[in-house]
Amino acid sequence: MKNFFDNFYARINNGKNPYYVTFGLLILGAVLVYISPRSLLAFMILMLCPMAIYFLNMETKIKVLIGILLAVVIIPVLGIRNIFYLEVIFQISVFAALALGLNIVVGMAGLLDLGYVAFYAVGAYLWAIFGSKQLSLLYSVPGAAAASAEFSLDPRWFWLFLFLGLALAALTGILLGLPVLRLRGDYLAIVTLGFGEVIRVLALNLDKPINLTNGPQGITPIQRPPLPPSYIMDVFRNILEPIVGHEVTDAQFYNVFFYFIALIVIMVAIVVARRLEDSRIGRAWTAIREDETAAIAMGIPLVQMKLYAFAAGASFAGIMGVIYGANRTFVSPESFSFLQSIGVLTMVILGGLGSIPGVIIGAAVVVFLNIQVLQTFSLFLSSLRQSDAVIPIINFAWRDLSNQLDPAKYQKLVFGLILVIMMIYRPAGLIPAERRQRELTHEEDE
Amino acid sequence: MKTFTSNPFYKFIIFPVGQMLAFILGAGTLLSVIIILLAYIFRGSVTNLDLVERTITILPKVLIDGITIGFVYATIALGYTMVYGVLEFINFSHSEIFMVGGVVGVELLRYFDAQGSLATMNEYVVIGMAIVLGMVIAGGLAVTVERIAYKPLRGAPRLVPLISAIGMSFILQDAVRLILGLTTGEFNVILPQFGTFDEFQILTIPGIANAVQIQNKTILLIAVTVMMLVGLNFLVNGTKIGKAIRAVAQDRPTASLMGINVNLIISLTFLIGGALGGAAGVLFALKVTRLDPFVGFFPGLKAFTAAVLGGIGNLTGALLGGLVLGLLESFGASYLGIFTEGAFGAEYKDILAFAILIIILIFRPSGLLGQTVGQKA
Amino acid sequence: MALLKTTNVVKRFGGLTAVNKINLVFEKGQIASIIGPNGAGKTTFFNTLTGIYTPEEGEIEFDGRSLIGLRPDQVATRGIARTFQNIRLFGSMTVIENILVGMHIRLKQTGMDILFRRKFFFEEEAEAEERAKELMSFVGLRNVGNELARNLPYGGQRRIEIARALAANPSLILLDEPTAGMNPNETADAIKLFRSIRDDKGITVLLIEHDMRVIMNISERISVMDYGEKIAEGTPAEIRSDQRVIEAYLGREAAAATQA
Repeated sequence: MKNFFDNFYARINNGKNPYYVTFGLLILGAVLVYISPRSLLAFMILMLCPMAIYFLNMETKIKVLIGILLAVVIIPVLGIRNIFYLEVIFQISVFAALALGLNIVVGMAGLLDLGYVAFYAVGAYLWAIFGSKQLSLLYSVPGAAAASAEFSLDPRWFWLFLFLGLALAALTGILLGLPVLRLRGDYLAIVTLGFGEVIRVLALNLDKPINLTNGPQGITPIQRPPLPPSYIMDVFRNILEPIVGHEVTDAQFYNVFFYFIALIVIMVAIVVARRLEDSRIGRAWTAIREDETAAIAMGIPLVQMKLYAFAAGASFAGIMGVIYGANRTFVSPESFSFLQSIGVLTMVILGGLGSIPGVIIGAAVVVFLNIQVLQTFSLFLSSLRQSDAVIPIINFAWRDLSNQLDPAKYQKLVFGLILVIMMIYRPAGLIPAERRQRELTHEEDE
Repeated sequence: MKTFTSNPFYKFIIFPVGQMLAFILGAGTLLSVIIILLAYIFRGSVTNLDLVERTITILPKVLIDGITIGFVYATIALGYTMVYGVLEFINFSHSEIFMVGGVVGVELLRYFDAQGSLATMNEYVVIGMAIVLGMVIAGGLAVTVERIAYKPLRGAPRLVPLISAIGMSFILQDAVRLILGLTTGEFNVILPQFGTFDEFQILTIPGIANAVQIQNKTILLIAVTVMMLVGLNFLVNGTKIGKAIRAVAQDRPTASLMGINVNLIISLTFLIGGALGGAAGVLFALKVTRLDPFVGFFPGLKAFTAAVLGGIGNLTGALLGGLVLGLLESFGASYLGIFTEGAFGAEYKDILAFAILIIILIFRPSGLLGQTVGQKA
Repeated sequence: MALLKTTNVVKRFGGLTAVNKINLVFEKGQIASIIGPNGAGKTTFFNTLTGIYTPEEGEIEFDGRSLIGLRPDQVATRGIARTFQNIRLFGSMTVIENILVGMHIRLKQTGMDILFRRKFFFEEEAEAEERAKELMSFVGLRNVGNELARNLPYGGQRRIEIARALAANPSLILLDEPTAGMNPNETADAIKLFRSIRDDKGITVLLIEHDMRVIMNISERISVMDYGEKIAEGTPAEIRSDQRVIEAYLGREAAAATQA
């Protein structure tokens, strides 16, 4: 089996083949998605294209070119045609950024953080409180919002709050880390879990004595940054409408707009993660993960380096939190549960601890599984339920199938299975981390 | 005197029960004194009622609630602490073992209820059957989980089995939900009404005006947990099996060289811990009367906190930790709201345990009864 | 001049006194060693020197300054590097990366240099890589720079550990049973390497061994420990004829037998 894949990979990675394969996937995928925007298969073919770019040998220039073509032209256009895919890709980007951040903490530095979404919540609630009417409702009971309340800030402040969210999350990471990073790994895991719950319970209950978070109802509406001026948008509108075949609303433009913001953040996140990994700091993290006693004997200050890892990981989550709050125009404590933290951990473990391409693919697979495969399966079952179909041999009528069997609600089972199976059979993940190979010509000469 | 202390009756009955009483009295008295002192200090700041009077009025109920839940935590905590003692591993899925025990027990009662025989049976026999079934299923499940998800990972870096255990915990939650959903069409499990458990016994303590009321089931819960704790103490300290468990916990390779079947002992540890967890689940169900597949999470984490509070790996510590945590939580839940005039209330009781956990781990990671062990270089 | 001086150092674990009132002086530029039977407290003494343990009593002075109360990383920054009895490499890092980790305290790149890939970052990394290669050839490793450390044979791993320790530019290197598990040829090579650490790099070398033959061959000064105490001190010739040392090593009866 493995042999078959190796041969297959070798064959398509030969000579000019990568170019044909990649362009083929790009064009085929684009056409298929354009023709049948609802087809899952078409979308998956298009998504093979970025994987081909990553895995096949091609000139870097061509890779960049295809990547830009795909990310900047094809996906936005197809996305406006069927907004659902843009939503999928946006979610993948959000979770990929979270997974990249958690990967620094868990994958590189080896610190198991089970409350990672707390930092995401910090970013989201920061913009939610300042970017909504919440500041003028501090002394009112949740739900009884005064109609006269006004937004406290201009929506353009969003751009500054991206950085404030990053900084506040990093600061929270340091404040949490200072007392607890001395602890042994498994204790640290439980303490971070506790911290995640503390943040969630605070979000749930800080509607009194002053109404900071609006309690379980969450905060809405949260402002979005304004779109570019209308004369620019009209240009786009005139170009896009004939292509996508329907009117393009501002809401759809917002989807594309947030897609681009997420894309930029994810690019920056990848660059930052790569640069940190290949430096004095990244090497210290790996050393700590491998053997703390040896690392400290080499002069690496453990607590300081772990704090860096916590802060770096948290900052990725903080900035994504701000974007998420603005994108949804709504935040509530439910989005920041333990389940979410484990979801991000599952992405990192599935993709490969410490592996940057791995965790991005891990995020893509898990998001795709959650909002596409499970949903489709749920819809399929409910359509069976409404039909008169019967399972032949055991004579079971689908109609009698319990409503409880709704795959979309069994995320925990999926996460749990992935975690256990990966730990037992493939602890290094789908795409294991690789160490950088250096040019060592000097050594060969001797 | 010496002959008396080595008498097994003293060693395995009087001493452990006395120890429990001492823990309850000590922790209860200390917290009561502190809260009454606080009430005097803040008397003026709360205007709408007499803080001291209110504090003292509800104090007996708060103490009883705390002791009851404390025993439940202690029983679950024993499962964590035994496994940690033997494998140095946080068995994250223990909270689900606890949940499964409770669900199984309640399902048995519901089965009898559906048969119509529940009302006619002796209530204590029924409860006994539910507890035994809960213990058997939960113990068996704990051993199975160990075989499937932890045994292949023995010797891997510490975090690997922990992550596997987290995965297992999620799998069990949704598996129970799935089974319940498919069989009963609903994943909430509600305890049927039967017997006289909800009736109150009146206890009059001289010197206090209000009579203290204790529910029958509270007495039952405390009695059963005390019996189990005494039994466990005997098993671990008074039998050959217990000696083998302690040997494996001390030094696994050496124990193995001495001819102890280490795998068997590890399975046994999971069996005992799981059975205790299962029994705690049934008793917990009796107390809260309503379960769902996700109900194990908080009691599990609090029990882990209790184990750490007492000194993880230490059985007496788990008991002390459970009681102290139960009392602290009960005090926090009842008095926080009164003292802050409703600004902060019982909704913070779940994170109180975490606050305690963090404080202990920072200032005394070895716990109340644990010994500081030097780090191996 | 004394580089390292310990005065009445005591380290206890509960009721066990693992290191009992050890007074030692090591001169700059020496190759010195501590020997003793297994369980004599040698490694505990090393761990006390490097800050892994804090001694209950006594004083440790390095280069004229006290080391008491410093964390292991601070001790390393002062200029003491070490290897471990049971090799502790960063197994899933490459050989060259292991050595670069050893250079951690000598690298000056800041977070900003790293994130913005400033010129200084590239210069420093290139320089560090160059030095790492030199160290590899110094300890006799070839063509393995990109191998994962855990994939090297035992002798190779010992060498990487020494290269990693040397990477910190220490003034004192502590080697904990560095020839354990080696065959006679490898041991002879290792002894040559220890000499050249002192002769070519001017680094003071302090060895722990329980194998007498290695020690006698290379050490200029030997201290003998038994049951946590120093029982003898002197040149190899003096140690060889010391009655207490023979007793400690061979047992009292055997010692009596050799005398008779």
